[in-house]
Parts: sequence; C-alpha cells; structure tokens
Amino acid sequence: MQDTRFNSRALLGIALRRGGQAGAVALLVGTLSFFMMRWLPGDFAYRIAAGRYGYDLVSAEAAEAVRRELGLDAPWYTALADWWLQLLRFDLGESLVTGHRIIDEVAHQLGHTLSLAFAAIALSVVIALPLGIAAGLRPRGWADRLGEGAAIALRAFPPFLLGLLLVIAAANLSDAIPAAGHGEAGNLLLPALTLALGLAAASSRVARESVARVVASDYYAFALTKGLSPRLALWRHGVRNAALPVIAYLGVQLAFVIEGVVILETLFAWPGIGHALVHAVFWRDVPMIQGTCLMLGLCFVLLNAAVDLACLLLDPRRRRGT
Amino acid sequence: MNVDLALTRRQRIGAALLVAIALFCAAGPALVGDPRVLDLMNFLSAPGLEHWLGTDHLGRSMVARLAHAGQLSLGLAALSVLSAAIPGVLLGIVAAWRGGWLERACVVLADSVLALPGLLLVLLLATLAPGAFWPLYLGLALAFWVEYFRVVRASARSILASPAVEASRLLGFGSFYLVRSHVWPELRPVLLTLASFGMAAAVLAMAALGFVGVGIKPPRPELGVMMIELLPYYQEAPWLIAAPVLLLTLTLLGLVLIRPQEAVA
Amino acid sequence: MGRSLFMPGRRRWLAAGLASSGLAAWPRWLQAGPSVRALRVVGPWEITGLDPSRAGYLFSRHGVSETLLDIAEDGNPTPALATHWEVSADQRHWRFHLRPQARFHDGSPVTPQAVAAALQFARRKPGGMGLVPLEAIDAGTDVVDVRLAADFAALPAVLAHSSAQILAPASYSTGGSVRRVIGSGPYQLTGIEPPQRFSLARSPHWDGPRPAIAAVDYLAVGRGESRALLAESGQADIVYGLDPASWQRLKRHARLQVHSVPLPRTIYLKLNAGHRWLAELPLRQAISLAIDRAGIAHAILRDPQAAASQLLPPALAQWHDADLPAMGQDIAVARQLLAAAGWQPAADGIRVRQGAKGGERLALTLRTFPDRPELPIIAAAVQEQLRQVGIAVEVLLGNASDVPAAHRQGTLELALGARGYGIYADPMVTLLQDFGPEGGDWGAMNWGNQTVPAALAALQGPLRERDRHALRRTVTRTLHEELPVIPIAWNLLAAAVHPALRGFTLDPLERSYRLERLLWGEA
Repeated sequence: MQDTRFNSRALLGIALRRGGQAGAVALLVGTLSFFMMRWLPGDFAYRIAAGRYGYDLVSAEAAEAVRRELGLDAPWYTALADWWLQLLRFDLGESLVTGHRIIDEVAHQLGHTLSLAFAAIALSVVIALPLGIAAGLRPRGWADRLGEGAAIALRAFPPFLLGLLLVIAAANLSDAIPAAGHGEAGNLLLPALTLALGLAAASSRVARESVARVVASDYYAFALTKGLSPRLALWRHGVRNAALPVIAYLGVQLAFVIEGVVILETLFAWPGIGHALVHAVFWRDVPMIQGTCLMLGLCFVLLNAAVDLACLLLDPRRRRGT
Repeated sequence: MNVDLALTRRQRIGAALLVAIALFCAAGPALVGDPRVLDLMNFLSAPGLEHWLGTDHLGRSMVARLAHAGQLSLGLAALSVLSAAIPGVLLGIVAAWRGGWLERACVVLADSVLALPGLLLVLLLATLAPGAFWPLYLGLALAFWVEYFRVVRASARSILASPAVEASRLLGFGSFYLVRSHVWPELRPVLLTLASFGMAAAVLAMAALGFVGVGIKPPRPELGVMMIELLPYYQEAPWLIAAPVLLLTLTLLGLVLIRPQEAVA
Repeated sequence: MGRSLFMPGRRRWLAAGLASSGLAAWPRWLQAGPSVRALRVVGPWEITGLDPSRAGYLFSRHGVSETLLDIAEDGNPTPALATHWEVSADQRHWRFHLRPQARFHDGSPVTPQAVAAALQFARRKPGGMGLVPLEAIDAGTDVVDVRLAADFAALPAVLAHSSAQILAPASYSTGGSVRRVIGSGPYQLTGIEPPQRFSLARSPHWDGPRPAIAAVDYLAVGRGESRALLAESGQADIVYGLDPASWQRLKRHARLQVHSVPLPRTIYLKLNAGHRWLAELPLRQAISLAIDRAGIAHAILRDPQAAASQLLPPALAQWHDADLPAMGQDIAVARQLLAAAGWQPAADGIRVRQGAKGGERLALTLRTFPDRPELPIIAAAVQEQLRQVGIAVEVLLGNASDVPAAHRQGTLELALGARGYGIYADPMVTLLQDFGPEGGDWGAMNWGNQTVPAALAALQGPLRERDRHALRRTVTRTLHEELPVIPIAWNLLAAAVHPALRGFTLDPLERSYRLERLLWGEA
C-alpha cells in the first residue's frame, strides 16, 4: 500500500522555484532581444519597411514612418518598458521575414521539437539502463571497461559531428534509414539516436554507479542470503534505488537536450524550434529569435519542473515530507 | 588532512595528452607557415613533405591552420573557464562564509541564470555582436560560474562547519589561513573536474556557434568552423576533416582522463 | 508479483537483434513504391513569400503557375497562356490571344480581365514589369492588348518571366498582395508550409497532356552537404543546387544520375563606384587584376571552363564578345597601379596613404551570402588574394537581402553575388535593371557613366541587326573597361536524380523543372 499524501510544501517549493525561473527566462531573453534590435548593424526600421512594401518601393520616408510607428526613436528606457509590457501580454509580434505571427509559428514547431526531445530521452534511457546495469553488476568487468571507454569517446564528440557520422554511415549502409527531412516514418530515428547516444554516454555511467552501490549494499546481500536470484533481488530492491539518480540526472542533462536539439534540427532539417532559431539568427529576424529562445527556455524550465515532480513521486521519503 | 597528489595512470596519460596539445598550440603557430596563404592549384593535396598535413580546399596548409585554430579555440576556452571559475569560487566561499541575505541573493541569481541553457545564452550574445570575442567570454562565463558557485558553496559550508576548522578558529587563525589550508585542498580536485567540463563545453560551444553561422569570422581559423568547412570533402580527402576532429577529441579526452576518479566498488 | 523483466542473456540478445533489424527495415515496408508516392524534390530556395516577385519562380518552375509566353532554348518566345500574338508595325501595340481551355486551379477560366489584373499587380512590385514603359493594358473578349508608351524590344522576355506569372483573381487581396497561389499550370498546390515545403498534385483543370507524376513534394534544405546526403540515401528523387564538392563526389556514384548544365549566370564583385577610393579606376583595375580566376574555377568550382573572361558568358552568344581581352591575374601590374595611386605598403602589408583627413588604410568590407554554397568560399579566396596586393578585406556573411539594402543606404563597398543574365530570355532586361541611369541593386552603384544607359535605351528602338550589334559591343566594352562590376566566374547548375526517373532534363534558363515530362521507369 502506498502513501499518496503529497507533501504540499515540496510542491509549493517546486512551483515557486520553477515559476521564478520562468520569469527570469522571459526577462533575460526579452531584454537581450530588445538590445539586439537596437544594436545590430543595419537599420531595422528599413528592413521592416522593406519587408512590408518590397525593396523596390521602400524609401527613406517609409523607413521613417516605420521608425515612428514602432517607437524606435524613443529613449531606450521607455522603449524597453514598452517591450516588456508587450511580452507580458504574450504579444510576440510578427516575423520580419515571413510576416506571420510568431506565436502561431512557434506553437506549430513546438510539437516537432518536443517529439524529438522525448524520443531522444526515451531512447537514451533504453540504451543507458541495460548498459549501466550490466556494467554495475560486475564493476571492473569487461562490460564496465567497455562502457566507460565508449562513454568517454561519445562525450568527446561534438553532437553535430556525431550526427553527420551517423548520417554518412546510414546513407552508406542502408537505403531504408532516412538522412534528413520530416514526414516519413523513419525520419525521427537518426536525430533522436544522435542525441540519445550523447545522453546515454553520461546516464549509463550514472546507472552503473547506482547499481554498483546497490550491489555492494547490505540489503542486497541479505536478499541473496534469503534465496532470491541476483536478478530478482535487483529487481525488487535495487531498481527503484538505481532509477532515482538516473531520473534526477536527466534534469541535469536537459540543458544538453535543448542545446543538442538546436544543432541537430538544423543538421537534419527537422522543422522544430531549434531549426527556426538558427534560421532566425541567420536572417537577423529579432522577433523570431526572441520567440524561439523564449519557448526553448520555457520548455527547459517546464521539463525541469516535470523532473522535480517525478523525483518527488519516486522517492517515498520526500513524498511523505520526512 | 592528507592530500594524495599521486596521479593515477590514466591521469598521467591525460596530462601528457594535454601538455602535448598545449605545446602544439602555443609554439606551433610560430613554427609553421602562414595559415592564410592560398595555393589554389594545389588544393586538397595529401600529406607530404611540403605540407605535413596536406592542403585544404583552398590550398592552405592544414598544419598551419590547425596550429592557429588550436591556439584560438583552446586559448579562448581556457580564458572563459577562468572567467567563470574566479567569480564562481570567490562568491561561493563568501556566500558560505557570510551566509544570510548575501547567500540567499547569490542563490537566487544563480537559479535565474540557470534558467536558460548556456548555449542559448551564448547564441543570443553572439548574435548581438557576430564574430566578436567578448560574447563568447561573457556568455560562457555567465553560464558556467553557477556550477563553480554551487559546488564551492556546498563544499565550503560543510568544511567550515567541521571540527578541524572550529579548532583552528579557536586557536586564533585568521580567515585567510582557514580558507587556504582547510577549504582549498578539499576543493582542488572538484575544481579540476569542473574545469575540464568547462573547457570541453567551451570548445564545443564555439564549434556550435560556427556551425550556426555566428562564430569567428574568416579567415581566422577556428576548430568548429574548420570542421564544417571541410565536411564536404570527407570522401576526397578524409585526412583533412580528421585533423581538427582528432585535435578536439584528444583535447576532450585528455580533459576527461585527468579528472579525479571516485571508485565505488 | 510481476514477471521478471530480465530474460536470460542469450534470449535477450536474440530478441534485441530481431527488434533492431525490424526497426531498420520498417521504413522500407511502410514506404510505398516510387510510382505510388509523391516525387520528392529538394532545393536550396526557401519560400520567402507567396508573391510572384518574391518566390514566384519556385511556383512557375514546378508547373503551378504559367506566364503569357514561354522561352525556347534558342531564346525565342513560344506560346504558353497565349497561343499566338500580333505586333503592330511600330512595335508599340501587342495583342495576345489566350488559350481558350485554360483554367485556374479553382475552376475559373483564364479570362483577359484576370490576365490584365495580374499584370497590373505585377507592375507595382519589383521585377521586369516595372521597367516596361506601359501606356495601358486592355482586356478584350479573348485578347489582351498591351500598349507601350515608348519602344521596348524586350517585352516578350519580361512577360515570360516568373514575376509576371498569371494568378487567379481569387489569389489576390484588395491591396494586391497574394493570399493563395492559384495558378493555371499542370500541378496545383495541396499544401504549403513556408518557408520550407509545399506539396503539389495534378490539377484536374489542366487542359494539356496529363502528367505521369501524380504528386510532388518540395523541401527547402539549406545546407549543401545535407542536400547531397539526401540524394545519396535515396530520400530525395531530384536534388538541385549541388555544391561543387558534392557534385564531384556524386558523379562517381554508382547509381545516381548527375546532370549539369552551364548557366548564363555570372559570379561577380559589385563595387560602390562612388566610394571615396573605389571611384578611382586604377584601384578597381588593381582589384580585378589581383583575382586568380583560373584558380577559383579550378579549385572551388571544379570546372576550368568557369573562369570568366568577361561579364557575359559564351552561352549568351549575341552579347559575348570574343574580341575582348580576357580578364586575368597580374599581381605585379596590380601592385604598380596601387603604388602609382599613392598607396604604399605598411608594416603589416596593407597599403596606406595620406589623404585629406590624415592617414588612410586601404580596408574594405565585402558582403556575401551563403544561399549559393560556393559564394562564401570564393569570398575567402578573394579576401586572401586582395591581401596579397595590400588590400585588407573584411568578409560580412549575411543574407541576400543585405546587398540591396546596403546599396540603397549607400553603405555598400564590395559585394560578392551571382547574377543570372539569362533569367529573362534577353539579357538586355537584366542589363537594364543593373546598368540603367540610376544603376541597380545588383548592378552599378553611383557609377555616373552615360554611355551604357544611352546604348541600352537606343537598343529598344527599331534597328538593323548591324546597329544592334554595334550597340551591344559598346555596352560590353564599356563594362569591361570601366569595371563597375568585376566578373569572376561563370556558374553551372548541377542536379542529382534518382536512377529510375526518366525524361529528366535541366533547363539552362532555369525557367522550369519540366515535371510534367517525367515518368518512372526501371532502375
């Protein structure tokens, strides 16, 4: 029978902390984007006017009109305050390139990014847990040494290079694995695998550590003397103890996931938020940069909160408030 | 407190790797030729006597470009790690020492910086000033100081509460002595680990920025940008892209090997 | 009590092996054969907007929209939406007869009113229509009358360009902006996700022969290596925009068909001829002499024929002048020219001189963009070659719209771009856009020369071929000697095609992908 009384203090703590972080993200991204608008070389009023009327028809007067309309002439403190107010109203503006509303575009891309992130995380757990357990069951055995070597090698590789190697290998080995793009069934495999390998490199080591700790513990030895087979003993006594650090470590790895998503989406032409961000940086589309960065940051905070909740659920000590 | 300074075998390998690479990057640029000179008719040539690592797609000497790129990338990485470590360690010690509102303020600050993944912060700053160096320092320093701060604060707090420190304090030793002889030796291995993480992350971040297009401007050679430039030639001249990849991988490998290990079983 | 998750070792490996082989093969089972699924086209061009003047070329190339006229490979106009036309004696009144069965994709007929409206909208946007000295466009019962206020010999070329494509009246909003692309071609849009992709299906309203390919998907992929990998892995059936290195690699591929065709497209340096230094001809000549065109063609474009000897390539036979001395590299003369102009090398090798306001260092900015993958590489080569003669160049990598913006704001110094002189069948249209009295976004800047605009204007009128020839020679010779733009290389277009695809040809004028002629055969 499980105690399902939740520790409301812990929940409130998570909500406050993550809520505060979300606010900090919005403030930071918004302010940086504002200064980007002002400091980047090239005249933004001119670009916006050219985007509206076309390059052939735009003139200095049109740019001036846009400048007055958007208040780009105002002193920076009033303009910054206006900018923050806009953010509070969830008004992210329109893209300088396509003219569509940022909110619509980002909402559309969010699904793609989340599916990639979740697939990568799930795949990394599938890869890391068996390897970590096999290594931890026999520390310093051949599985352990092999795993450590592989983990070091994988961690030392830049993600985009790993992705490219996988693409090249896939293109040469099998006709069936798609190299890039979106829309076909197998398209998710390579980007998710690239990210998952990088994640699994570290989390397999964490799993190994915790399994090794369980195997060396007293209650495990006691279970063995009771007559349980090693596997059953591990399953009953060890898995939850071993799983908790892995899940907690996922929280640490979320930053890696978000950063990896940005690069790998570009490489694999996956139409998610990371791809849109890189695109926007290239085109100096400041509203889009702000929108995508904001969304990625908020996703990060949200996923962190989810991990906090998962840890709370899994750890009976914290749940009951001891 | 006995501090074990003997390096294990893997740490020795790691250190040897890093020293070799550091020598290559420090002394190399002075010894090899100009990385900018073109030899278009002689592009993508194999390693030979004239060009030890061959020439790239524009006929520039690979070994020269590699040495200069290594100096730039690894130098920048080391600098940004220092820029992150110094304020982080100082703030961590001060926060653990003083406690109170100062500590709480630092924790809140750290939490808010942690809210945004480091690469995004660096990317935003690099977009503000494309091709400049200061966004990299600033962004990486801002993103990493938190790590140092948290680790140092946690360690310092527990050390400062220990009986040994209590005894020293009662004996009348000043705060500086306490930090130097009690806190610092415990922190050293952890800081080394963090520094290696930080260097690796810094080099990868610069490579990622080059990939995205807001990295160092040409013609300055930089490892990440080199990797992307040489990628299309992976079939015709695989030794070319292997060079920066190997340099980066070996550097990261050295940094990983040099970390102090804690064995469990 | 739950079942144990851990099966004994051997069985676990076996199960994992089966699962992974199934996973690898799964996409193949799900993938329909090529004759059933959509044709997948990949290119570097993004859908920056629905307007014909923005990304209209994408829709006309894929057979979604049509223009009044088409251009054959020999440069002569051929029927498209207009089946035949008549020209008055003074060349100022053109009457186009429309194809009677032509229908837009929403079912409405292609009426003269629709054509006139589309052309009027096109006039207000950037593009060739704006150059035409139009008096009126009248819609008759089945004819469209175009009356000119002055002579304009290149009217067929302008009407054949994608910026003058004819869309249904329902496509436009009241202001003239395009909300949906409703064309009259063999394929209609079934879905669009700007800027990356759109999908097409055969239009039931098409009155010509039914295309064999039922559906088409277009995907914009920015990186050249990714595009090449898509071709290799078989994920794309047609890949356009292969960078030279991938082109070389894929040429040796066992099964892919690789097509290439020289384009009437020139890679060139655009100069601000009003810049305080660049206004002096010797400096421009020195820049031209410093560039190693043969090396760039050999190493970067992988085609020794690509080194440009003049602005317009041999493919444009009427304009290419074989008598002009070829542009080449001569570093010694370049250095002499700079020294004679007062520029002396300083300690770091970059030249300086004493100007009106003190010492000046010869440093310029070069803008370019990666839309064409070879441009940044050529920029790096040019930067180094100019450094060898003592000119410091800073490369600013941005996007293509930076160049017109910098032109209009007057901040441009040097820019590296690629200009298609064959996108209008008659290069004269592009030359008019670039070298008219005010210069052009991609052409001369602050040049102030009178000869070329006068010659181009004179070419509009009715002339004998001998006089036309002389005027063309005047234009090319003046451009060659005065160097408002410096040509570097001529380009080619390379594409990789699925081995089972039949009937593929590359259009040197890049007007059409000719999708309606393709069909699937045996690999």
